[in-house]
Amino acid sequence: MSMRIPPIPDETYFLCMLHNIGAIMPERSLSIEEIAERTAMDPSKVEENLRKLISSNYIEINVVGGIKRYHVTINGIRKVLSMYS
Amino acid sequence: MVTWEFPPRIVGGIARHCYGLSRALVKKGHEVYLVTLDFPGAPLYEEVDGVKVYRTKVELGHPDFIVWTLLFNHFMEKKIAMASKEASFDVIHVHDWLTAPAGISSKHYLNRPLVSTVHSTEVGRAQGLHTPSSYLIDGLEWWLTYESKRIIVASYSMKREIEGHFRLPQDKIDVIPNAIDPEQYEKNVDRQAIRARYRVGDHERLVLFIGRLVPQKGVEHMIRAVPKVVKEHPEAKFIIVGEGWSKGYLESLTKSIGCEDRVTFLGFLPDQDLVDLTLSADLLVVPSSYEPFGIVALEGMAAGVPVVASNTGGLSEIIEHDRTGVLVYPGDPKSIAWGINRVLSDPAYSNYLIQNAKRRIAEIYSWEAVAEKTLKVYEAAEENSPT
Repeated sequence: MSMRIPPIPDETYFLCMLHNIGAIMPERSLSIEEIAERTAMDPSKVEENLRKLISSNYIEINVVGGIKRYHVTINGIRKVLSMYS
Repeated sequence: MVTWEFPPRIVGGIARHCYGLSRALVKKGHEVYLVTLDFPGAPLYEEVDGVKVYRTKVELGHPDFIVWTLLFNHFMEKKIAMASKEASFDVIHVHDWLTAPAGISSKHYLNRPLVSTVHSTEVGRAQGLHTPSSYLIDGLEWWLTYESKRIIVASYSMKREIEGHFRLPQDKIDVIPNAIDPEQYEKNVDRQAIRARYRVGDHERLVLFIGRLVPQKGVEHMIRAVPKVVKEHPEAKFIIVGEGWSKGYLESLTKSIGCEDRVTFLGFLPDQDLVDLTLSADLLVVPSSYEPFGIVALEGMAAGVPVVASNTGGLSEIIEHDRTGVLVYPGDPKSIAWGINRVLSDPAYSNYLIQNAKRRIAEIYSWEAVAEKTLKVYEAAEENSPT
């Protein structure tokens, strides 16, 4: 039986990248600039994706030294793992 | 045992399988060292009912999933090497492609036989190979089966699939079904209170889906069946439990067909809440399009909930149509609605399915039986040449 597979949204790929570069707990969280550097993405695109993922509770923010840093939540990790398991 | 998923790192059935099997092997007097990946809040080493669990911290990252997978396998190899200084392993048992490189290299440097469990295949999950990553995953799966002395699958349908796709000799593959802990479901719960917690009224009928929200699980087809069910049973309320990359699409679909008041997405639930919710449901639907086994169907059967499932893969082997559950056509909302309506309309039929299913679970699907069969596979793997 063939299925119509919906495309994987861009922000889900972005979430996957954030997971794979290790930002999966507060002490490993990254700033927008660091994420942009490590994923070779434009900071404005990073910000846009983060906004969507924060509203779905897949990303959390913590502020360290006045700088916002982002990491994948436990639900976000589960979403990433569902892509490959 | 090497696996990328072990509680609390739970996504699909692999974590539950490794948890059940490793504990059952320890109960039988064997030593199990389990190497897995770290998870926020979980210790890097702990003993879980006698199972020595080593969690691997991945020290390097890369945005690409495949590169990241190969990196974490490197750190797992290091962990396996460290654990091998404490004990001399008889067998290395790997679960799925994700930990294949670590398992294969450990086989060679420890000179011990490799056993692998293939829970599913890339070609099945993705319904074909469409991307370079898919081809690489497919290659890793083949490589794992090639390097393994014995291969375990959970159903005959999966055996046929890998025999054909990877061109494997059939006598290299053993079929050992999955299992569950039926005791988990032997408890009294306050159904009314639990249903109220999830906003299901006394007069409503709770239809449950549990699983990853990915296309192969067929949730889309179940959602498309909702209007046909509600037409006959306006009291039906669907609860969808699980996470997955197609969640956003499924939520939009629910809205677009005007069923958002009948369908609730709960996201991931911890195990105990999941058991309580299952025990409080009126029906469990397993609408998968591709399902190598379908452990969730067993859980519903053990909980005394009638199961409506797709007639595909392992589900066709677990469920006997009209006796232990209802089988419907995969990918067919009309057929799914028919199955749901049939059970909801006839309480005596529903009760008949429940009683038969409970007996079947007790007879076949215990972890003790699975551990016994797995030990026989380990013995076969150790015979003659070590690797």
